[in-house]
Amino acid sequence: MDFDVLVIGAGPGGYHAAIRAAQLGLKVACAEMDKVGGVCLNVGCIPTKALLHAGEQLAASRHAADFGLTFGETRMDISKLMGWKDGIVKKLTGGVSSLFKANKVTHLIGQASFVDANTVRVGDKTYTASSIIIATGSEPARLPGFDVDQDRVVDSTGALTITEVPERMLAIGGGVIGFEFAHVYTNLGSKVKVIEFLPNVIPGADADAVREFTKSMKKQGIEIATSTKANKLERKGNELHVEIENVQTGEKTTEVYDRVLVAVGRRPRTAGLNPEAAGVQVTDRGFITVDRQQRTNVPHIYAIGDVAGNPMLAHKAMKEGLVAAEVIAGKPAEQDAVAIPGVVYTSPELAWVGLTEAEAKEKGFQVKTGVFPLSASGRAMTLQSTDGFVKMVVEEGTDLLLGVHIVGPHASDLLGEAGLALEMAATATDIALTVHAHPTLGESVLEAAEAVHKQAIHIMNR
Amino acid sequence: RTDGRVLAVPAARQLARELGLDITQVPGSGPNGRVRVLDVHQHAAAQQQP
Repeated sequence: MDFDVLVIGAGPGGYHAAIRAAQLGLKVACAEMDKVGGVCLNVGCIPTKALLHAGEQLAASRHAADFGLTFGETRMDISKLMGWKDGIVKKLTGGVSSLFKANKVTHLIGQASFVDANTVRVGDKTYTASSIIIATGSEPARLPGFDVDQDRVVDSTGALTITEVPERMLAIGGGVIGFEFAHVYTNLGSKVKVIEFLPNVIPGADADAVREFTKSMKKQGIEIATSTKANKLERKGNELHVEIENVQTGEKTTEVYDRVLVAVGRRPRTAGLNPEAAGVQVTDRGFITVDRQQRTNVPHIYAIGDVAGNPMLAHKAMKEGLVAAEVIAGKPAEQDAVAIPGVVYTSPELAWVGLTEAEAKEKGFQVKTGVFPLSASGRAMTLQSTDGFVKMVVEEGTDLLLGVHIVGPHASDLLGEAGLALEMAATATDIALTVHAHPTLGESVLEAAEAVHKQAIHIMNR
Repeated sequence: RTDGRVLAVPAARQLARELGLDITQVPGSGPNGRVRVLDVHQHAAAQQQP
């Protein structure tokens, strides 16, 4: 065998698997047909966060007059913004390459395709490996009638490249990607509308948190239409005429946009992989089913990340990569995370981990909740960001923490505490008894825990 | 009820796997019966004594 482990794909899951396997003394190769870092580093997590930060700074400059800071004319040099964003991506992907070298992971360049259960063709060479990890990721789902040209009609990749700020933009899909780009473009000056087919945006998030989140998005100028779908697109010169239908009333309207973002989901990517040659089963939706050790139906072949199922999140892929590598190295690892956090990196952010109130009730828990609004947080006031709250879902009686839902600045970072609390099987009392620094946003987590017991100090307890 | 969730800290879950023990069979001494690393060690020792 040429390698102990051959990882197919160098995204978050793939490079985590490769590096951990190498740390454990295995001879590892990682095949990548595109750029190392995968979707997350190149056209996903990282570049969108860069654009979100820049947009927020622009928006913040407009609010600085509240405390007496005024500027001349604030201008955004779009080409410079693109360069800065691309520089961050380059630095991070270069970092992954360096980590491969430092860990002696062989980087194979080319499209990988199974020849048999232990042989993979990469480009025009074939390699054998005792264990193989499939980490081929996902790609944007298509919407019939909306052909993506990455110029005027874009998917999440095309939306990252901005040459001029569109006056009117339509985001089709009220999920995480749709809202993050809606927020970027709104802050850059576009008039943005988000349409969602389902009755609610950000499926999977807590209903109260979504209500608070959409309230703030609307306040910032984003138009949101739920139970709405886009039927067809017509290009008239530089204008995009989109027929939109309310699926409840059946009412149809045609609206004009300069740019349309198609963000209706992502689909697993196995094209060209030829998993059949290895006997690996793929579901009719394109996913590769795995057990808690990330094993496919072929015991020495593993699958991780987006291709192995939802939720399609980088940190889920990373964890699964570590599990697969450790199992291959003979360790008894398994994907046993209590909860996988979810985050929308808008401003305010929407972040959650664990069960929503509805999910907890569905599962038969007697539920208690505690909510602490940021309008009562001193730190939030000093940050000019009082939209949002922390909501805690707790089991009545045992006081066991079931879920934490946060809308507010740095919600993504506050989530770390909540995730640890869930893993440690903490109770609301444990959190309430933990001294949180003052003044910080993290205190809102403490106060939400206190609110569960109707003992919050900075709000009236009802 | 815990919805099948084992109230055990991550390090205890990992240790139980390494020792070949079923974490759901380890009595927990922490709050709400939470299983700690020490509980796993004690359970393992008790299993070895016939």
